Amino acid sequence: MIVLVGLNHKTAPLAVRERLFAGCQGEVNLLAELLVIDGVREILHLSTCNRVELVASVDEASATVLALKSFLSKYGSLSNDEASSCLYGYRDDEAIKHLFRVTSSLDSLVMGEAQILGQVKDAYRKALALNATGNALNRLMHRAFRTAKRVRTETGIAANPVSVSFAAVELAKKIFGTLFGKKILIIGAGEMAELTCTHLIGNGAEDIIVANRSLAQAELLAEKYHGRAIGLTALDEALCDADIVISSTGAPSYVVTQDMVRHCLRKRKNRLLFLVDIAMPRDIDPAADSIENVYLYNIDNLQDIVDENVKNRRREALKAEGIIKEEVAQYANWLKELKAVPTIVSLRGKAEDIVSAELGKARSWMGNLENTDREKIEALVNSIVNKILHAPVAVMKEESVEFNSNDIVAAARQLFRLDD
Amino acid sequence: MTSLEISLFALALTCCALATAGYLLSLLVKKVVLAKGSTWILAGGGLFLTFNLLLGAANSSGWVNFGSRHFLSIYAWTIAGIYLGLQFKTKTRLLGAFIAPIILLFLIAAAGQESDKNLVPPQWQGWLTTFHLVLAIAGEALFVLASAAGAMFMIQNNLLKNKKPGKMGRLLPSLSDLDWINHLGLLWGFPLLTLGMIGGAVYAAFVWGGFWPADPKVIWSFAIWMVYGFLLHQRLAIGWKGSRMAALSCLAFLLFLLSALVIRYCFSTVHNFI
Repeated sequence: MIVLVGLNHKTAPLAVRERLFAGCQGEVNLLAELLVIDGVREILHLSTCNRVELVASVDEASATVLALKSFLSKYGSLSNDEASSCLYGYRDDEAIKHLFRVTSSLDSLVMGEAQILGQVKDAYRKALALNATGNALNRLMHRAFRTAKRVRTETGIAANPVSVSFAAVELAKKIFGTLFGKKILIIGAGEMAELTCTHLIGNGAEDIIVANRSLAQAELLAEKYHGRAIGLTALDEALCDADIVISSTGAPSYVVTQDMVRHCLRKRKNRLLFLVDIAMPRDIDPAADSIENVYLYNIDNLQDIVDENVKNRRREALKAEGIIKEEVAQYANWLKELKAVPTIVSLRGKAEDIVSAELGKARSWMGNLENTDREKIEALVNSIVNKILHAPVAVMKEESVEFNSNDIVAAARQLFRLDD
Repeated sequence: MTSLEISLFALALTCCALATAGYLLSLLVKKVVLAKGSTWILAGGGLFLTFNLLLGAANSSGWVNFGSRHFLSIYAWTIAGIYLGLQFKTKTRLLGAFIAPIILLFLIAAAGQESDKNLVPPQWQGWLTTFHLVLAIAGEALFVLASAAGAMFMIQNNLLKNKKPGKMGRLLPSLSDLDWINHLGLLWGFPLLTLGMIGGAVYAAFVWGGFWPADPKVIWSFAIWMVYGFLLHQRLAIGWKGSRMAALSCLAFLLFLLSALVIRYCFSTVHNFI
């Protein structure tokens, strides 16, 4: 059976996550140590800034969950209170569901973000390299990746940007189509402006101009983006050149006025101009928005778009939960079938042994027969054995899945004397 | 008209109707994948129409003997061809939602025409008439495309200006792409129409002895040619772009539509085939 133990950003404060993260990171043979815990057959360790989780295939759930919890408490130096409030432990379907939700980014801080899938894949790769996984976990992880892919393609959970800087990039694409070769003018400096600029460059924008009151500071930033630095006095000219303007100065009044924009638009022959004003107080005169072919977005406009997208993601998450439910059921069925597998294998093995022993005995008189006849007899015997075994095998699988019952498997072992 | 021609035309009409439905549905449910599928269906329709026209040309021993059905089909074929050609260049599949219905209307109108009625009376037939017709049709088809892109530009512009791009804004093509299509439509449409009109005028001079027959179609066409010429001039020389250009293109298209209806129903003209 599958269990999952761990903590995440919802259950544990940063300080606790940090401690556990560092504790686990420092330990080289973490998986090897986990594997020696009584009852643990296969294990995987996922560690990101938002969560530390262990996924394991175990013989007995309750005791192993406790053992894994105390393992994590030890490594994270968690107090008893912290351990009981922060650590969660899931088993069977709940554990599978949690893992699928994590991999599909439904449990992430920013729902729908793409990073988590890569992190889970890394964790799996590590476990695989150390032979810490087996049949059950391998299948589970592949199901998890498949689920994440389905959630991504069948729902719109990752479709629309939920950060202000990405929202600005999306808008730029809606205005310019492609951002290749587009010129960006950054006025002032700020984390958000830089982030937006980085995303724009990532999408193909090339030419960067940085304008700042202090030329030295502008040069510093321009160097980072291989761009050109100018003082605020040369702003008019730069405005005529640029396609996208990101402004975030600390100036108390408008740095870009309506007249400046109108004037530059005439000079640039009415080419479209996208202005992003993320300063507080605002840098660009809102009246500039009334000019044709100028698209001015301030921080509130962008935030509104982000809020709308977050709402959409929540709606899409409901669809994703449906997909996860389906996938959990399919995996759980396979897992239940797995219980009957060793018995089915030994039953078939025993049958094959009997067939080959009996055919061996008959070899003396079968030697007189033609080759083709001999082959026909062998095929007939195999076919009879398969037909006889078909029903018990099917019933064992069905019973395991439908009633999660071991009785019929035990009965089969006894009836066919498989343990002798 | 042979039965094969009729089947090909019916197939083209069906494909176009399906593509129109697909495009409109994609706007309704806001899924671009439907528009992509519709583009392929429209391309299939275009192919059937091409075969239909080639077969028609072979059967009527030359382009000039075409009937009214063929004439309207060529209109539809040219618009579809230019639109599909542009799909290789830009991601403007949703533009089909505006283009496909126009193509469908032309095809439906074509279906209602007598296929065997000669477009041009035998005494007027000749290479100059063909030259005049083909270029005029191609020019007008490009204007239709420019105006459709303009209409879509206005919608997208409205969404972006109101700070509510939403699902619809994401679905519609980008402003630059639409503006570019508008530009191309005017840039190529205008010289083609001009050449077509010159061809007509030269023909008139030879046959009727005057460049300027007082025909309502000619007068209206000249007015529309002037409007589009003005737009192209503003675009190239003055640098008008974006929303103003889009709005004026839509107005020009309405004028074009109005002229077609007025000429069709209110006047008797030597261009009595549409």
